[in-house]
Amino acid sequence: MKHISCLLLSLLLGLLVSADPKYKELLNLQPLNPASLLASFNFKSNASLQSYEQQHFKYIPRSLGQILQHAKTRELHLRFSTGRWDDESWGARPWGGTKEGGTGVELWAWVEGDSDADSFARWVTLNNALSGLFCASLNFIDSTRSTRPRMTFEPASSVFNASSENLYLLHGSLPREVVCTENLTPFLKLLPCKGKAGIASLLDGHKLFDASWQSMAIDVRSVCPENGSECSIEMEQTVDMVLDVDRSKRPRDNPIPRPIPSEHLQCDQSKPYAGDEACYPSDANLGQSWTLAEIFGRPIQGSCLAEDSYGQLRDSVCINVPHEREVNLYGDAVETKNEAGTSRCFAIPASNPFELVLSHIGPQTFNKVSQPPLYASRSFTGHGQERGGVQTLLTNPSTSSSIQFVYFETLPWFMKPYLHTLTARLTTASTTSPDIIEETFYRPALDRRRGTQLELLISVPADSAVILTYDFDKAILRYTEYPPDANRGFDVAPAVIRLLPSSGNSSSNSQAPLYIRTSSLLLPLPTPDFSMPYNVIILTSTVMALAFGMIFNLLVRRFVGADEVEGWNLAALKAKARGRVAVLVDRVSGKGQKLEKTVQ
Amino acid sequence: MVIDRRKAILFSSAAALRFILFFAFPSLPDLLTGRVEISTPVTSFKRLQEGLFLYTHNAPLLLPLFALVPPSLFSPLTALLYILLDLLCANALIKITESGESGSSRLFTSPRKDMKWDSIAVAAAYLFNPFTIATCIGRPTSVFTNCAILYAITQAVSGKPITSMLTLGLASYLSLYPALLLPPLILLCYDRKARDTKTPPAATFSTATFVSVFSASIAWFLYLSKVLTGGSSEYLASTYGVHLLLPDLTPNVGLWWYFFIEMFDSFREFFLGVFWLHLGGYVGALCIRLRTQPLFVITTLLGIFAIFKPYPSISDTSLYFAMLPLYRHIFPLMRYTFFAMATILYATLLGPAFYYLWIYAGSGNANFFYAITLVWSLGLSEIVADSLFAVLRDEWEVERPEMKGKDIRQI
Repeated sequence: MKHISCLLLSLLLGLLVSADPKYKELLNLQPLNPASLLASFNFKSNASLQSYEQQHFKYIPRSLGQILQHAKTRELHLRFSTGRWDDESWGARPWGGTKEGGTGVELWAWVEGDSDADSFARWVTLNNALSGLFCASLNFIDSTRSTRPRMTFEPASSVFNASSENLYLLHGSLPREVVCTENLTPFLKLLPCKGKAGIASLLDGHKLFDASWQSMAIDVRSVCPENGSECSIEMEQTVDMVLDVDRSKRPRDNPIPRPIPSEHLQCDQSKPYAGDEACYPSDANLGQSWTLAEIFGRPIQGSCLAEDSYGQLRDSVCINVPHEREVNLYGDAVETKNEAGTSRCFAIPASNPFELVLSHIGPQTFNKVSQPPLYASRSFTGHGQERGGVQTLLTNPSTSSSIQFVYFETLPWFMKPYLHTLTARLTTASTTSPDIIEETFYRPALDRRRGTQLELLISVPADSAVILTYDFDKAILRYTEYPPDANRGFDVAPAVIRLLPSSGNSSSNSQAPLYIRTSSLLLPLPTPDFSMPYNVIILTSTVMALAFGMIFNLLVRRFVGADEVEGWNLAALKAKARGRVAVLVDRVSGKGQKLEKTVQ
Repeated sequence: MVIDRRKAILFSSAAALRFILFFAFPSLPDLLTGRVEISTPVTSFKRLQEGLFLYTHNAPLLLPLFALVPPSLFSPLTALLYILLDLLCANALIKITESGESGSSRLFTSPRKDMKWDSIAVAAAYLFNPFTIATCIGRPTSVFTNCAILYAITQAVSGKPITSMLTLGLASYLSLYPALLLPPLILLCYDRKARDTKTPPAATFSTATFVSVFSASIAWFLYLSKVLTGGSSEYLASTYGVHLLLPDLTPNVGLWWYFFIEMFDSFREFFLGVFWLHLGGYVGALCIRLRTQPLFVITTLLGIFAIFKPYPSISDTSLYFAMLPLYRHIFPLMRYTFFAMATILYATLLGPAFYYLWIYAGSGNANFFYAITLVWSLGLSEIVADSLFAVLRDEWEVERPEMKGKDIRQI
């Protein structure tokens, strides 16, 4: 009997464990240098595929789940980003760039469909629905902004083979979109604790959108464990931001920075001009110490579903500083230090607020930032509003191995590239090297219907840089096609670079993909005079009417000699007019005389 | 043989001038290729190169021709080709002049016909026209069209109507608008044929033959393109559709681009129709009124095309100015030559300056260049109308020889 009850209990427990859809959240704080702090929030929800298909929503939000089901979307990646990741001083990107989007909004998804047209119709449905859900202009991703990348994106789901299941990859981006609080609120609403508890309570629009760089990501994919157990749907929400520590520490009610009083000023004595008169402020104390409440405006309000299936608290906050650095806590949290000596994590109890203080006592050390595998920067060349060029500098910092990557660019249709001018050359060489671009996929634009899609497979040798250039023409648009602020220019979506695993260790295919995005570009187009429609219609029509009139006047009328017809003879006309005037004068004066006579 | 020597000198000096410009100033061809006055979206040499690269744009028959050229020799060989095309055009002009069609056609002989320039002078006026030279260096594909049009006329005046119709078919295939030259060219062919044979052939039968040859030639070229592009007919929309619907509004010297930038969306189609109707409207009227001088109808139509076609460039103007010296004998009858020439000169000089102010310096706006295109169009239409007046007066003076030199009036 006891055995049976034990068995039942374990069975029940096992059922609970497997049936319990998991939810995990983790905040990773990483000081990048004294002045900036990278905060990575990650929220992971799971549901079994079966319950998802039967519309049993628990941690996967119903609002998003139903949209995905309606639009027959199997995998979704949505990104909201602002700012530029400064890889010169911040190093490699968090998550290997996989949770990052280009400036503005970026979206790509695998959609089911019988044909290209079918999948596109669902893609439009998806965009419209997501547009409503996230208060973003996603509905403006039309055929001119949608592409079907060939080499750049791979499905993250382990379940499907895209070609055999009629799945279509579609990609769209809105570089002009300004990401702001109205996008954060629906993002937080998708979380189980709605941002009221757990690490999400730190997410405040004032701080997030004040960051030097931020990226919000939503990824939905299906995962099938390799042991053949049940497939599940996984949704991951990520917020990464790089905060300027000093800026964040300014009080909200008095945000204007003021000069430090001279008695508190610390001077950098290493400067050559340092002396009694000149002082270069030392950054020795810059951003050295902070608390969560100082940086994010409030402490963490307890935890959100932090207990795992065994009733144990999970770590939900980690900070990457060397162990010799002192970190103080307020609130009863459990601290775990990793063996490498570079980070420590905290498990937070459910109810109490949690506060973390990175103190300024002790050695002021930081973990070294890792070197990015590739530096990419893209810019326009040339001047004027007629034509220009794009130049991308791709630097491989590695001294030992070459890298291979896919360079993916979408251009609006009114930017007309000339592919015959596309060249790639090493910065050290003066001529083009034909072996840098290994493969090209190019889909030319169609006016007002489709943008340009360019995917290049490029390899850069070790310790060298490649310059990629091409020319383009700027089209002039109809005056209704310009945005309200036409002279600001048009945004060109960032290029996406996918680094391929190096051929040396191709065996490790499980290696996570690495992505890098360049910044977006601002393209000035020639503008017409927007106040002119009536004038232009009138003036052009006048010129046409003049020409038409002159020619048809000659064609339909007959010539006669000038002396054969009565015409406008100026002398006769003058005489006639003079006669008339004389008669008039006579009459008036005559009347006057008559009047005089009668009076007398 | 004297004439031949003069011709050789003329041709070699014209070719030498172009060679010098091509090879002594290596950046000049690319500079001129980028000028909006020379290259329009449908004729740009850079787009032709891109088309070669992608094998999509432009009327596809031209592409294999260029694709045969090895890349290393591409630049010098295209230069040679364009120089050769110019000389061919000049040669065609010489033949047209020598036929004497401009002075006396079948139905009309001008009393002033002896006051003409000889063929070498006409060719020289073409070859040393700055517009022609700039066009040659800028290498737009409209040169092919111009050459085809001139050859169609040459064939017509030398009494070969079938080849004339085939060549016009080629010109129309290349850029659509030469199809409007069909009626006057049929008249010209018919007149020539009737002059050569004592009894005039049946008008309806000849017309039907000419039209069917013309359509057959176009059909043949379209079929050939279809075969070359692998059976697709998508190029039709991206070549002729561009002429008809004006999707590309890049500035040029014409009147269409700014009008359709500023046009309200709901009226766009209506005005496209109006503009094309306007362009086509001159054909019938001129053919009827100037039935006796079909070559002059063609000349005037070329002038009108240079003003009112969707993507005009100075290469169209150079074609009109090539034909105009054939009518040297009516120049004394023109009334506003100085005014028109001054206007053209003014627009030629100020156009590039105003374009620069708008696009590069940013100190002017689109209206600057637009205003200059208006002046340019006005100047050209002044010349067209004035030469038309002169020809009509010339014709009238045959009826009324006593009115020579007297004031006249239209009623």
